[in-house]
Amino acid sequence: MIKAHPTDAMLHAYVAGELNSASALVVSTHLDMCPHCRRMANAVEEELACEFESAPAAQLDGDDMHLMLDAIFSSSASKFDTEVSPYPAQAEAQAPVKPKDAMITLEGKRFQLPRSLANQKHRIGPWSKMMGNMWRAPINLGTDEVANLIYMDRATSVPEHTHRGTELQLVINGVFKDEYGSYSDGDMLVLDHTHQHTPETTDEDCLILAVMDAPLHFTSGISRLLNPFSSLFFR
Amino acid sequence: MMRLAPQSEAPRAAVTSPKSAATADDAQHLAGLLASIANSRCRRSFSELFRYFAPKLLAYGSRQFGNEQIAADLVQETMTNVWHKAHLFNADKGAPATWIFTIARNIRFDLLRKNKHRRDEISADELWPILSEQNESLEDDYALDREILMQEIGAYYAQLPEAQREVIEKIYIEGKSQQEVSDALGIPLGTVKSRTRLALIKLKELIA
Ligand SMILES: [Zn+2]
Repeated sequence: MIKAHPTDAMLHAYVAGELNSASALVVSTHLDMCPHCRRMANAVEEELACEFESAPAAQLDGDDMHLMLDAIFSSSASKFDTEVSPYPAQAEAQAPVKPKDAMITLEGKRFQLPRSLANQKHRIGPWSKMMGNMWRAPINLGTDEVANLIYMDRATSVPEHTHRGTELQLVINGVFKDEYGSYSDGDMLVLDHTHQHTPETTDEDCLILAVMDAPLHFTSGISRLLNPFSSLFFR
Repeated sequence: MMRLAPQSEAPRAAVTSPKSAATADDAQHLAGLLASIANSRCRRSFSELFRYFAPKLLAYGSRQFGNEQIAADLVQETMTNVWHKAHLFNADKGAPATWIFTIARNIRFDLLRKNKHRRDEISADELWPILSEQNESLEDDYALDREILMQEIGAYYAQLPEAQREVIEKIYIEGKSQQEVSDALGIPLGTVKSRTRLALIKLKELIA
């Protein structure tokens, strides 16, 4: 049962196309996993479409209209051919991702990726070991935003830290907990400087999609020594 | 369900809710235009659709960009998409205005980033499924995948140990989440996961 969902404002911003790519990837992956938010997003989509349709229209003069229509009728269909579509997600939306194509393997374990992530599998870079029993693979979105898959083996903890910017985390598979609660498959967290926490896994491992706009800031004891290097964990 | 209702029921809906019925009629007419564009490349239908939506798209673009030229680019690109992709419109999944809005929204996102263009940059269509086609078909697709998966491994299925088979059956046939299986069988979630993994590894060995 998913407990942590995006806020209404974030869902609204997602549907309006106002999130950056990395945040949109997290929300769309959450939607893959969460029927509740899918229904909400569909309702927001209809609401925004209704605003779009009923807002006062702009003036478009007849000459401009004819020029546009001519250009459209003489435009080449080849760009929209599914074979060479510049919109891979759309072509793929017609053909479901096969289970084996949605699998990733790490440390001998196999994980099934939700569709939005599976569609971006080609963007997932190599795994590298971080501190402790944590691994990270960058997801190259071709933008400046930082998106990573993070794998925490069981009985692993991250030193207490806050977040300098805003971080979105989505549990893809497994369980982790911090001072605020326990999160499992599909739970989506929004973390910022007000959240000082110590994430850890106990008897289960955890695969997380994490997106952030600033490095972590470690707050406790000797782990503060990590702060100068914290960007290494995420770039 | 609504679309399966016999014709004779339509007037009753119109009486109870005249406003939404009028809107539904409009939507139906617009959907008809899209169908004739898809089926017969009908330019007259497209021109009518264009006259209806282009001024709305221009207004939307002007609000978004505060720039008439980019707003006009948005109209042009959105309606070019509509012309070539009308066959992808599915009236069962939403109104024409919703479909066209989602196309415009995605083109807006890509236009906004064209300045800092990078070849490998993720596109809006990868992040926002048009008219939820991706979202709404999700369960069906997973169900289909499960079916194919079960067909592939069906022959090896009986060879699994009972405890693993029970878990796999609940997940892949009954469609339960791992948490639900854990609750139903009264075993820890970790055990469900490890049984699932072991079963999948075993099946993979059997198939390979
Ligand atoms: Zn949700």
